[in-house]
Amino acid sequence: MKNFWRCHVCGDIHFGLKPPEVCPTCSVEHAYVEIPSGEALNIQSGTKTETDRMGFLKAITAFAENNAFQVNPDRERVDMLLDGVFSNEKNHGLKYCPCRLRTKDFEEDIKLVCPCNFRIHETYKDKVDGECWCGLFIKRSDK
Amino acid sequence: MSKLIMFHGKECPHCRRMMPLVEKLEKEESVSFDKLEVWHNEQNADKMRSFKDLIEPKCGGQLRTPTFINTDTNGVLCGEVPYDKLKEWTLS
Repeated sequence: MKNFWRCHVCGDIHFGLKPPEVCPTCSVEHAYVEIPSGEALNIQSGTKTETDRMGFLKAITAFAENNAFQVNPDRERVDMLLDGVFSNEKNHGLKYCPCRLRTKDFEEDIKLVCPCNFRIHETYKDKVDGECWCGLFIKRSDK
Repeated sequence: MSKLIMFHGKECPHCRRMMPLVEKLEKEESVSFDKLEVWHNEQNADKMRSFKDLIEPKCGGQLRTPTFINTDTNGVLCGEVPYDKLKEWTLS
């Protein structure tokens, strides 16, 4: 089961089965301690404001830059999807994919938070023109 | 008559594109789908979840939208498909 971990040096929060050996922010080794989810949420709410729409688009564009996929250039489609992602965050707490329904099982539903691990989806892998299920990310034609 | 349901999401582009095909099929073949939006209506969402065991094997292990289900035959069709495929599934 995944847990929250906090770097005792710089305060980075990690969510996973085990802590990173090296903190990606302060580079200290073996610096993570397991913490309860409530503590992680309190740290997050005190340090980070809600992501706005343009901020999210900028973040996922930067995320895609060094990968074999890009944000779909179809702006109308992206706009509709972001409407759904932000509506879901407002109504259901997290940026859930608007093209899949949450099951109410946290471990399963965390997999629906955008961007999800779409590289394993049959709509993406092994396809030249693959895309994530909702079509927010598509494979680059130049890679 | 078979009971046909289309589970869809308001901000799902696949669902948006399938909707006119479903409406065309309803007119041409005198069939009728219950069109249930699942992200803004929790009752509809619970109904879709109640078919989880039927839907997931056909939809990549998830509750994807759009999903079409025939509650009489337990037939499931998942995702954006051409009109002919939707028609064939509906009338089969």
